[in-house]
Amino acid sequence: MPDERVDIAVVGGGITGLAAALHLTEAHARIAVFDAGLNAGSNANAGSLHVQLQSRFLRLYPDEAPNVEASLPLYLAATRTWIELDRWLGGVELAQKGGLMLAESDAQMAFLEKKAERESRKGLDVDILNRAELEEIAPWLGDHVVGAELCRDEGKLNPLLANEAARKLLKSSGVAIVPSQVHALEPVPDGIRVSTDAGDCIAEHAILATSWGTRALAAGLGVRIPVSWEPLHMNITEPGDYIMEHLVQHAEQPITLKQFQSGQIVIGGGWAAKFDPAVGTPEVLKASLLGNVALAAHLAPGIAHLRLMRTWAGLNTTADGKSIIGPLPGTPRVIAAVPGDAGYTLGPIVGQAAANLALGNEQQFDLMPYTPARFS
Amino acid sequence: MTDTVKFHFDGEELSLPAGLSLAAALTTAGIRGFREGPNGATRGMFCGMGVCQECLVEVDGNPNQRACMTKVASGLSVRTQSARPALVASPQISSNPLVEKPDILVVGGGAGGLSAAAEAARHGAQVLLLDERATSGGQFYKQPAAGFALLDKQQSDGAALLDDALQSGARLLDETEIWGAFAGPEIHATRRGQAVIVRPRVLIVATGAYEQPRLVPGWELPGVMTTGAAQTLWRSYRTLPGGRVAVFGNGPLNLQVADELRSGGAEVLLVAEAAPAPWTRPGAAVAMSAASPGLARDGLSTLMRLRRGGVPVHFKTVLSRVETADGGLRATTDGAGGEVVVDAVCMNYGFQPQNEILRLLGADFIYEERRGQLICQRSDECETTVGGVFAVGDCCGMGGAPAARVEGQIAGCAAAAKVLGQQAMYNRGANLRLRQHRAFQSALWRVFEADSQDYADIAQETLVCRCESVTKGDIDGPSQEPGVEIGGVKRATRVGMGRCQGRYCSHVLAKHMALAQGRSVDERAYFAPRVPIKPVPIASVLAAQEALEADDA
Ligand SMILES: Cc1cc2nc3c(=O)[nH]c(=O)nc-3n(C[C@H](O)[C@H](O)[C@H](O)COP(=O)(O)OP(=O)(O)OC[C@H]3O[C@@H](n4cnc5c(N)ncnc54)[C@H](O)[C@@H]3O)c2cc1C
Ligand SMILES: Cc1cc2nc3c(=O)[nH]c(=O)nc-3n(C[C@H](O)[C@H](O)[C@H](O)COP(=O)(O)OP(=O)(O)OC[C@H]3O[C@@H](n4cnc5c(N)ncnc54)[C@H](O)[C@@H]3O)c2cc1C
Ligand code: FES
Repeated sequence: MPDERVDIAVVGGGITGLAAALHLTEAHARIAVFDAGLNAGSNANAGSLHVQLQSRFLRLYPDEAPNVEASLPLYLAATRTWIELDRWLGGVELAQKGGLMLAESDAQMAFLEKKAERESRKGLDVDILNRAELEEIAPWLGDHVVGAELCRDEGKLNPLLANEAARKLLKSSGVAIVPSQVHALEPVPDGIRVSTDAGDCIAEHAILATSWGTRALAAGLGVRIPVSWEPLHMNITEPGDYIMEHLVQHAEQPITLKQFQSGQIVIGGGWAAKFDPAVGTPEVLKASLLGNVALAAHLAPGIAHLRLMRTWAGLNTTADGKSIIGPLPGTPRVIAAVPGDAGYTLGPIVGQAAANLALGNEQQFDLMPYTPARFS
Repeated sequence: MTDTVKFHFDGEELSLPAGLSLAAALTTAGIRGFREGPNGATRGMFCGMGVCQECLVEVDGNPNQRACMTKVASGLSVRTQSARPALVASPQISSNPLVEKPDILVVGGGAGGLSAAAEAARHGAQVLLLDERATSGGQFYKQPAAGFALLDKQQSDGAALLDDALQSGARLLDETEIWGAFAGPEIHATRRGQAVIVRPRVLIVATGAYEQPRLVPGWELPGVMTTGAAQTLWRSYRTLPGGRVAVFGNGPLNLQVADELRSGGAEVLLVAEAAPAPWTRPGAAVAMSAASPGLARDGLSTLMRLRRGGVPVHFKTVLSRVETADGGLRATTDGAGGEVVVDAVCMNYGFQPQNEILRLLGADFIYEERRGQLICQRSDECETTVGGVFAVGDCCGMGGAPAARVEGQIAGCAAAAKVLGQQAMYNRGANLRLRQHRAFQSALWRVFEADSQDYADIAQETLVCRCESVTKGDIDGPSQEPGVEIGGVKRATRVGMGRCQGRYCSHVLAKHMALAQGRSVDERAYFAPRVPIKPVPIASVLAAQEALEADDA
């Protein structure tokens, strides 16, 4: 059971909650961390460190494109936060060799060129590569790939290692994650009452690192946070020789392709899965498995004889293309910390920002654009 | 006898009888390490039936080929598979996939599947049967490879059953490995580099069981294999697992195989059975004889032959450790058996149902404590809780070949009635026989009842997950975190993440975690069912995708 009274209650034990909790613990705050163990995106994600604009979002959610573009500097800062966290956690196979976005036609090249210009203005380290240049760094690509955009800020890491290392570090600082669902938050005279399966606690502040679960918790406080879950599909192969250094995406097709240090190739990129809350666990869709893996084999023919070993489905959280960080309107003791798209990349920086807010520390970046008040 | 073939292993020429599996051929040549495993360890054949994925070799530049499922052929260049094979070879996948829409699809050509297929076809349904082996027959009726004669009555009975299925008009597709099962049902498979997609009206799952090992230090060493793997070497390929053999386990299969290997010329240095001697349980033994005097007698004479052949048979004795020793493997027991040094250590501590297709399709299961297995819930006609999906034989929970055969008849008949729009006829004789076989099985397991290995019995340094080299010591902490589920332990430790997909650790882990948390075991205590059922070449997925695009268009 958590202390009856704590300084800060962290709700959610995904990467955002873990990062917040680590920073709070380092500042010697008394904290309680609650996690319902419900389909955390952090447990299912592919470990891509995204920076450049993902073509998937531009295509699927064109209205959100301006928000995503405005957040580019945050993504840049987020990778720097990850590099620090990697060190703090003792190494989670983080590699920042850059990300390639592939083109298979002149039209796609033209799209990438324009995109690169926009990104370059936002401070991203990007370049357009022709086939010959690409050949030098990724000779395993299929012949039909004509060129790519290289974003040197991008990278990858092993999320299973990162989650586990963060939990271990937290545990060694004496913080046990309470495996309970938080049902309600309620302002009381000197704090926030956090009601959970395992009993209640009163906290000075509560951080909601609850991804899609934030909608219900905030609604209980009369605040609208329009986040929703998005069930996504993933695939992983058996190990092969380690040759893919980059994170690979496509200018038009939804895909992320990368290799873990184990030699396993992880294939994802936003293919749909199925989720019925009554079933409780997201399920794999045939069309996504076939389509996603076929696309990977098309782009990297060398992987075709490797065998697909496992698929799974997880819940991503989408909002309006921007993170949601800050006190809830009307209940400032409750702080939202929802990274949003490419949320594993953004999780640590968002968690750290929420921790700073709760501690009353100075922020490293302007939080105004991310305020939850924008939905009210 | 058979012709010989010449092929190369790691550059060295081998000349061996044709018709062998690569695993049998390499075993004959005295080669036991097939692939580079985790941390530089060497791994070899373990299950002999395509599930453990430990026997991977590189064949003609194509890595990840299972030696136990691949036939030798002249001129092959076979190599030890490296831990991370190169991403270079281009696989030969036909761009011409097979899309089938039979009335009834039977998955698995063992006792249950063959009889289901024959029965359904006789009733006039159009039936397709898929089996991953080159020759159907399954585990009990395991057939000799081409070029080898039938060994005994068990094999000739199997040959007759196979013949019966062929005569019935059912189509049998061999070497077809199922990797996907989706709602519909729609079954995805690969066959010699060709994608196979089947959309039947009714599905009969008859995928059998696989063997459960005892998790002891050293069970991953090359030369340690399941008793069934040794039996396949002998019954299908006339290959001995080694000159000196020891057999450990629980249940009659171990005694039978020990005796077969002995009669085949192996020196069986030890047989250790976990249960007490049958004669110490006269009540159960009498019940067993009453249910099937013939089978009970066979069992007794097997035991007597072993004794007469000078094979020490110890009861209430289990394997506790295997180590490499001078010129072989040292197997240590915790009972009266002491230790022996042998070339092959065989073990079978029961079975686990191959229920992946059924779980994927959403069939209901209950956990049965006594068998330590998930039991698929079925109607009297063997239909699962998913309409149009039947299941027969050991994939529903271990029941033995005779029961599987009768279940196959019952399901075949009901499935045919279903697709032909007829009323299923109640088969009184079949139901009576089924009751008898089940009575025999249950008496048999009372005779052989022994404590199963619990998580707490496993030594700390034992690999609970041999694929990913995860020891019990690694799992202890993470599996006892408050509120943790099996998926969480998997992510924290990598237990169950390897190529066998948790087949050898999940039942131990599911039970351990339920106990630790005061829950009862149920289907959700196991790793979540996900496609692929077995690792599938990406090229096959690509071919399936193209085929479906064409078929749906
Ligand atoms: C398949 C897939 C692949 C992805 N790949 C990438 C990628 O490569 N790169 C990338 O940057 N992002 C990726 N994402 C997105 C990323 O995983 C998530 O955005 C990110 O992990 C969110 O982290 P989080 O800690 O904010 O939330 P989560 O990890 O979702 O954790 C939220 C936690 O809060 C808990 N919770 C919710 N409500 C309550 C409550 N009321 N009481 C108690 N606990 C509660 C939940 O149980 C959960 O554990 C992917 C997502 C998916 C699904
Ligand atoms: C970076 C990364 C790498 C990975 N690499 C591998 C890998 O190499 N090999 C590998 O095997 N996996 C791998 N995984 C997958 C991982 O182990 C999990 O499978 C994944 O996190 C998602 O879990 P899941 O949905 O498959 O199952 P789980 O996390 O196990 O959760 C599924 C839930 O479903 C429940 N359940 C059980 N049976 C049923 C049923 N019949 N119907 C519905 N629900 C049921 C379980 O109780 C559980 O609560 C990897 C995951 C990540 C994030
Ligand atoms: S021995 Fe070949 S897969 Fe197990």
